[in-house]
This record gives sequence, structure tokens and C-alpha cells, in this order.
Amino acid sequence: MFARLMCIPFLLGCFAFATVAQHGAGDGSSTVSAIDHKDPLLRAMLTELKRSQQKLQLGEFQRPYYIEYQLFEVSDYVANARLGALVQDRSSLSRFVHVVVRIGDYKRDSFFREGTGAVEVMPIENNELALRRQLWLATDKAYKVALTGLTAKEQMLKNLVADSTMPDDFSREQPVDSVLELPRLEAQVDRWKQIVRSTSDLFRADAALDYSMAGLQFRIVNRYYVNTEGTVTRHGNEAYNVMFAGSGPAPDGTRLDRSHAYFVSKANELPTPEDVVLETRKRIASFELLRKAPIVEDDYQGPVLLSADAATAVFESLFVPNILGNRPTPGSSARVSGEYASYYKRRVLPDFFTVVDDPRPQKLDGLTLLGSYSVDDQGVKAEPITVVDQGILVNYLLGREPIRDFAHSNGRGRRGLQGSPGPQISNLIFKAANGVSFEELKRKLIQMCRDQGRPYGYYVETTGPGLAPRLLWRVYVSDGRMELVRGAVFDGIDTRTLRTDIIAAGNDRYIHNMPEPLPRSIVAPSLLFEDLEIKRAETSREKPPEYPAPQLGPQRRIDQAP
Amino acid sequence: MRKFTAFNRAAHWAKVTFLLLFLSVGFIAFKPHQSGASENTNPEPALLSILQQELDRAMIALGKADPAAYFISYSVTEVVGSAIIANNGAITSAPRRRERVASISVRVGSRDFDNTHGGNRFASLSINIPLEDQPDAIARDLWLNTDRLYKRSAQTYQGVKTNTKVQAAEEDSSPDFSTEKPSIAIGARAVPIKYDQQDWENKLRRYSAIFNKYPEIESSTLLLLADEPTKYFVSSEGGRVVTSRPLIRIIAVATTHADDGMELARAETFEASSIEKLPPEQEIIARIEKIAIDLKQLRTAPVVEPFSGPALLSGRAAAVFFHEVVGHRLEGQRQRGSDEGQTFTKKINQSVLPSFLSVEDDPTLRTIEGVELSGRYDYDEEGRPGERVELITNGILKQFLMSRLPVKGFMRSNGHGRAQVGMSPAGRQGNLIIRSSNSVPDSKLRVQLIAEIKKQKKPYGLYFEDIAGGFTMTMRGMPQSFQVRPLMVWRVYPDGRPDELVRGVDIIGTPLTALGRIMLTGQKLQVFNGECGAESGLVPVSAAAPAMLFSEIEVQKTAQGRNRPPILPPPGFEALPSQAAPTTKQERR
Repeated sequence: MFARLMCIPFLLGCFAFATVAQHGAGDGSSTVSAIDHKDPLLRAMLTELKRSQQKLQLGEFQRPYYIEYQLFEVSDYVANARLGALVQDRSSLSRFVHVVVRIGDYKRDSFFREGTGAVEVMPIENNELALRRQLWLATDKAYKVALTGLTAKEQMLKNLVADSTMPDDFSREQPVDSVLELPRLEAQVDRWKQIVRSTSDLFRADAALDYSMAGLQFRIVNRYYVNTEGTVTRHGNEAYNVMFAGSGPAPDGTRLDRSHAYFVSKANELPTPEDVVLETRKRIASFELLRKAPIVEDDYQGPVLLSADAATAVFESLFVPNILGNRPTPGSSARVSGEYASYYKRRVLPDFFTVVDDPRPQKLDGLTLLGSYSVDDQGVKAEPITVVDQGILVNYLLGREPIRDFAHSNGRGRRGLQGSPGPQISNLIFKAANGVSFEELKRKLIQMCRDQGRPYGYYVETTGPGLAPRLLWRVYVSDGRMELVRGAVFDGIDTRTLRTDIIAAGNDRYIHNMPEPLPRSIVAPSLLFEDLEIKRAETSREKPPEYPAPQLGPQRRIDQAP
Repeated sequence: MRKFTAFNRAAHWAKVTFLLLFLSVGFIAFKPHQSGASENTNPEPALLSILQQELDRAMIALGKADPAAYFISYSVTEVVGSAIIANNGAITSAPRRRERVASISVRVGSRDFDNTHGGNRFASLSINIPLEDQPDAIARDLWLNTDRLYKRSAQTYQGVKTNTKVQAAEEDSSPDFSTEKPSIAIGARAVPIKYDQQDWENKLRRYSAIFNKYPEIESSTLLLLADEPTKYFVSSEGGRVVTSRPLIRIIAVATTHADDGMELARAETFEASSIEKLPPEQEIIARIEKIAIDLKQLRTAPVVEPFSGPALLSGRAAAVFFHEVVGHRLEGQRQRGSDEGQTFTKKINQSVLPSFLSVEDDPTLRTIEGVELSGRYDYDEEGRPGERVELITNGILKQFLMSRLPVKGFMRSNGHGRAQVGMSPAGRQGNLIIRSSNSVPDSKLRVQLIAEIKKQKKPYGLYFEDIAGGFTMTMRGMPQSFQVRPLMVWRVYPDGRPDELVRGVDIIGTPLTALGRIMLTGQKLQVFNGECGAESGLVPVSAAAPAMLFSEIEVQKTAQGRNRPPILPPPGFEALPSQAAPTTKQERR
């Protein structure tokens, strides 16, 4: 802590000459909104913002040209259970604020290294003075780190060859006033705690599992945002998550894992208890099938069919990071830091694919899309964006940090509970022009294998961490029968594979909802790859336990609260 | 190695930016024990039987494994806690917490030499177990993790056996685990702390709003922490202990900066075993006001000059001083291991303090001078009864604060194996008490100080009103010095001028030299209650000492904090001028 406290004034002292310059507050055109929508929280934020914009200046140093406050109000309900007994049961309500102060101008500013702002805890009550005091402290801190950030930025730029094509540091955007009603927790927490307990009790059905759990997390995040350009926004989102998981060793010592999660944004979209029981039993039953399943011994290179579920996981890890307009390290001439840096207006997927990031719809096929919003975390309105048009990359997703050829935000500056806002997807929807039924894809798979003289092809139903297939099937050419196998991983699947090896896609779609670190969705169809490698996994084998597991009691009826 | 007491801890708390962390990190650590736990007068809790049954199964199996486990223990802390946190008149958070944390210990090999040998002392494993007494669910968690820990311990054991063969003989070849008679004591489960939420939220709003009157105060926080843990312990040696003790604390912290950037912080804690035993409201309010007034005075107080001369420490300041420079160095594990400084290791039966001073640690003591002691407990984390230990008698070092890790000459635990929930126990302080046979009434000490200043022909002496814990280096390779952070220090002039507050004081020097310079003490013991951090985590402690007159204490200017005060005046004081910006006249180090 001492080191951190000392460094700022030290730098200020050393580099005072470099940063001293007289600037007005911003460029004179921007001003804090006077409309507080009768919300005491917004009023406190606007009052302190205005005071800071007008008066905040340290000696001869520059005044801020831009200040923003984003306040989060987080209500959390978390419970989980093992074998019918609650292990965790808690709720919390908290507020905190991120303050960003920018010094310099839109072209070159202080948002760099230490200069990316300050965080402060906020009262959960609307006591204006108490709220303003925390904002006052955070703004002061953010301004001081911005002075340090500007010095660091200037030092860094001195060491780089001047590049006139370097994009601005911060884009100019239209102010927005968008104040929405805030959501409240709608789910019946106690009822769901009981469902979680009884779901976890179902795992008694398989005594060979050494670990199992069921849990819930219901989270309401309300966001209040104001900046010195006149933007005022207030909106919130709900995320209801119910999940269960089991784990146990196979006879050969490899670990088997199954899990399932429901992520919805409205309480009434949560599954029925019967549905949860059904899905849990299905997962539990699959352990016995997996234990009996043969291990993949031989390496395979050939046609592979991915379910829509598995396809969303592949796109999440191989596609999404590369369409985000994250700037490369300073000095690099690349457009973005991802693998698609040099693929702007070039092919990244087969020509039958179109990919749209659309924050507008809240549902698709009657199911939740978690990544919906109207204004992003930098106060920019979000519209649908075509990212890939007939296989060609035509857009990157951007917040207010411009990249070459993209001077403006397209409303994707999003922020989780921690860190700075940055480009992120909303609801990323993959569509194939010539989608066919799943049965048709399976027929194609068999036909290709037959043509290549193979006895079987592979079908990946679902994947776990690192894209390792959890349910992997051999599809036999002779009679179309499917055989569950295990212990295999993909080899060499990458962005090139996505570009060249997908030969067909389904007309089905799976919605993959991801609540953390911020709510997002990916929607994709099944995919048929012409050529994919599948090889035996080199997983460590566990030694069996030194002594047997304790006896499990019989399944119970859980309808009483503990 | 860093150690600190409640003041630092509390100041740090005020800076914790993510209240969400509260639930995952936890706000207070464990407290063992309860008052009046007597043997077997309470019905055995269901959880204890579940632990016992699974322990028996594990011991039968792992006792026959190769290499064999010779000791297993399960220690479960049932944490039930709540807090109210307020800033400037508004509630910031009011979290509640309920969880059960099980610490599993598996020792492989033998007492003489086991898997915890050398650098592997901290070998336990902690997990969350169900909150409900459901036998098979709890048993399964214990089984899975005991098996994992056994495998890890067996591997470590093979490793240390090989290492020991190839290394030179150790200076201290004591066993790795002491032989003890197991304790059986079933105390009552904690009685839930009851307080009126609304009423206390209002109180904290009021208390925290006190700081709104002072534009000099920057950040400030008020906390009410209520913790009511119950601890369950079973071991393969037959130990069975259930203890509990509620602890309530109110903590007030505030910070400011002097114009030159020096960070200034003050804190007050009020601790009691129940809401009713907290001090009366007028006292709490008066002491919170004093924080603000102290800080206001400190902001403009002159910075201390390097000085060496007579000094008077208040009882509270002396207590912290002894906790840091003596207490920590008497912890058993510091006497063993090649990376420890071992200041006192070879000084048994030698003089380490003036002969009129004695030091004991007595976790069984409930109160001193009517003040409840935070460092009290009946049983430590290894299921040993806390014992009153005479560490230094009439200046002569007698023994150490012992966990079940023996050191040369001390083969038994004296019930000081303490740890935060989920951490492995180590020898730690409980209630450290310094007694003196060379004392004068407290009112006479000032006269003596002035006489000493005159005798030494010094322009002034120092009076230490309050000290926060500092950084004590006990590891080899670091300077064997101490640095404590005196918070309120006054220059006392021999010519009758009023005392003058100074800021930025650091005490420097080596511990043994400083201790030799204590001349005389007061009579009244003053208590410092706080929380102490070391390798086994945070534990509540107390230290009590009389005021002490030192013939010489050496101080220097502190290096802490170079940040400027806030530029704008606080909300509510908008009319005050902004901070002038002294860009040219900054002092540099």
C-alpha cells in the first residue's frame, strides 16, 4: 500500500513540466445534464459531477476534459446444496462506483495504465450527502491517477515513432438520456432453495459419484451512468441461474464430469421443477453410459458433426475474442489485438454464414437472450451490427476506443462488475443460408465417411472446459447407430478450421447464455466439419481412494425448509 | 513477514473497495472457546458424532496405509456473523454470513518425523461442508478431502525423508508433533447474538455522521461486527471439544492527509461479548469525536525531528509495543527453522528485560480492570486447553508460546496453537500481560519523565499516547528491528510549556536494546484489544501493560504517504477554498 500511495506524487513532481498546460473544462461544448429524473441517486451523481467539472484542478495542472460516473447496485442471492443439504445460503446488497477522469483531449488523453479511474464503495441508501462524499473521494482519486496516466502516456509516446494514422484515444459521441424502470427480483428464493436441495438429493442415485451439487444465483445489477457530455442513463438487468453438476472417476481413473445450467433473464422463464428433475436424471444416467463407454484409442482425422450446443462453445472460444475491437499494444500497426487483425473485409467463415450482433431482442424461439440492452456502459446507444456478411468480416465490435477505420463506438463498450469498459458482444447470432435439418447433416456425415472408406465418423454433442468433448459419439456408416465413447479431445481446431473446414450447417439453433463477467448470448446452428482431428486425451488418471466412500442414505422427499 | 494489530487492520478495512468481498473473504476470523465450558455437561451435538464416525473410518483405513497416517483431526468452525457498515450517516452494507468450514489435518510418518517437517508446517486442507447436520453429505465431503490430503501428505512425507537424508543435520532435532493427553470438553453452542437491526442501523448512521462535521476528514467508516462461532474438534487421539464465544465489535476509522501528503489515520475499537456489555453510547460518541479532533490536530502538527531521549509510553502504547517486539518473538515456531531470526532462542534462563518486569500470556483471563479481553479462549485450534504461561519472570526468559510443534527444551504445547478459520495453527499470543514490581502511581510518571529530560539535558522528551501495530521482522535475512507506528505522540518540555503534538513518528532500534532502557512503570494496567495477523492468519488478541518510562527511545520521521489531500472541499463545505497546490515547495525523500 505504501508503494502505491507514494508513486503518484513522485511522478507528479518529476514530470510536472511535461504535463503543465492550460485547458478549459473539456472543449466548452459539453455540459452536465440538468435532468435528474427525480432520482435521488442520479441527483447526487449529477451534483458532484457538475461541481467536479467546474472546479476540479490541481495547481497548474490540466483540468479534466471528461468525467464519468458509473454506479452499480448489485443484489445477489446465492445458495447451493450437496446431497440434499444446503452448503451455502446468502444474500447481499451493495453499491459501488467507477469514476473515470480523462485529462488531455479526445485525441490523446490520460486513460492509460494507472490512469483508468477509481472505484469506491457507495451507501446503499439514498442519503445525498453520504453519496456525494464517496463520489468526491473517488473523483479526487481518479483525477490524480489521470495525471499520472497522462505523464505515462506522454513518456510512452516519446519512445514511439510518430504515426499520424494513430486513431484517437476516445471517440466523440452524442449524449444520451435514457432512464428506464429498474427491475426487482421476481423469483421466489425460498422455493428455489428447496428445488436446489431436492435436485442435489437426486445424485444419490449414483453412489459412484464422489462429488455433486446443485445451486442457484439470482442477480440483479442496476447501472446508473452520468458523464460530463450530458449523458444520463439508468437501466438494470436480471439474471437467474440454476445449475447442477456431478463428478466421479471412471474405472480407469479418468474423471467424468456432467453439468447443466439454466440462465434466464426473467423469473417466469425458469424451468419447472419437473423439468429440472428430468434434466438432472438424464445427466446422472449418462454417467453409467460414460463409464461403460470405450476409450478413444486411435487418432482420427476426418468429418465431424458438432451439435448446435457444441458449435456455440467453439465460436465462443475461437471467434468471439477476434471480432472485438481491442487495440493492439501501442506502437503496433495492427488494427486490433485479435487473430482477425488483418481480416477486415476478408473471409473468416464459409460464404453461407452471416453473423449479426443484435442487442435488441430479449427472446428467441421463446427463450431468453441474456445479452440484451439498449445503451452500453459508456452511454452509447446500441444497434444491431452485421459482423460477418456472407463469410466476410465487415465490422468489429467497438466501445469508445477507436481503431483504424472505425472512429466511433458502435455501442459495445460494456463493463462487468470489475475493470474498465471494453468491446464485448451482446447477442451474437450465427445464421447459415443453406441450413439443413440435423438428420440431413447426420446423413451427410455418414455419406462422407462412406466415401472415404471409414467405418465411422464423430458427433460431438456437448463440450466441457477447453472444448474437450463431454458427450462424444461414433456414428457408424454401416447402420447409422451411435456409440458413446470418451477420453478424446480436438486437435488443431482454430480460426483457419472455421474459415475453411465447415461444409454445412443446420437449420436448428442453440442459445448459449453467459451471465459472467457480463450477460452475453451466442446463437448458432449445428456444424459439419469436413476435416477435424480428434485424438486421445492425455489426462492424468487418479489413484483410487484409499478407503471406500461412506454409505449413502436413500433418496429423500425434501419439502421442508431446513 | 507482516504483522499488524487492529488499528492497521481497521484502517485497511476502510479502504476495502469491494464490499462484495465480505461474503467470500469473511470479515472476522474465528474465535475459539466460550466462558464456562465445563466437561461433558452438554449434550453432544449431532455434528460432533458425524465428525467422529468419519474420523474413525478414516483412521482405521489410513492407519494401515503405506506410509501410514498416525494422526487425523477434523476441526469445524460454524461461522454465524452479521455486520452493519456505515459511512457519513448512511448504511453502506449490512451483510450476514453463515457457513461451516472444516479444516482437515492428516499426519503421515511418526511424531518424531512426519510430513509437516521443515518447510511443510502448514499442511491442512479446508473445505465448506453442509450447514445442515446431514450425516452422509458431510461424511462424503470429509472422506473425499481426507483421501486427497492423505495422498498429498504421503507424497510430502516421502519428499522430506529424502531431503533430510541429503542435508546437514538440523540444529534443533525435536519431534514434529508433541505428545498430549487428549481433551474432552463439550461446551454449549453459541447463543445467537440478538440485536435490533433497525436500532443499530440508526446508531451507526448517527455515529458515522459525526465525521460530517469535520471538513478535514476524508474517508471514514463505522462498523458493527457480530460474530458467534461454534467450533467442533475431534482427533484420532480421542480429543473431542466443542466451544463457542460470541464477539461484538464496533470499529470506527477515519483518515486524512497533512498538506505535505502524509497519510494520517485514527481508529477506535469497542469489543465485548454481548451487545449489553458495550460501553455506554456517550463514551462511544466521545471517542469517535476524539478521532476527528485528533486528526484535525495531527494535520497541522509539526513533523517530528530525529530524536533520541527519554520517553513515556502510555499503558496502551506499551502494550502494543510489547505485543510487537516481545510477543511475536516468543512464538514457539520462531525458535526453530533456518529462516527464523531466533532473537530469543538461546536466551532461556537469561535476562532479557529489566528484573522488575514479568511477562505472561493468559488466555484464560476474562477481564483486566473491568475491560473484557479479546484474546481469551478455553481451547486452542489443536484442541489443547489454553494455559497461563509465564514467559518472562523477573526479567528472565522462561518459555515460549507453544503449539504442538516442539522446540528444543520444550516438548509440550501450552495451548497457544491458534489460527484463523481454515489455516494451520501456529504458536500465537492470546492475552499478553506485562507486570511490574518497580512502579509509581501513574500521576508521578510525568514528574519522573521531566526529571529524566533534565538529567539528560535534552530540550524535550516524548509522550506516546497511542501506537498502532507495525511491521516486525522476525525472519533471517531481514533486519532484526522493529517499527511500530505511533499515532499520537507529544513533545513534553521540561520548562512547563504545554505539550506539543507531533506527527510522523517512527520508533527505530533493535528490540533487546530498547527493552533494556525501561526504567520505571506506572501501576494501572491498560488493555489493548485487537486483531493480529501472522502466518496462521488473523486472531483476536489482547495486550495489557502499565505505562512505562524509557531512558531512551530513538525515533525518526516516517516515510508514510505522499498523496495530496483532496483538491475540492467535501460536499457540505463547498464554500471552503480548494486546496492550494504546492508544486514547488514539496519535500522530497
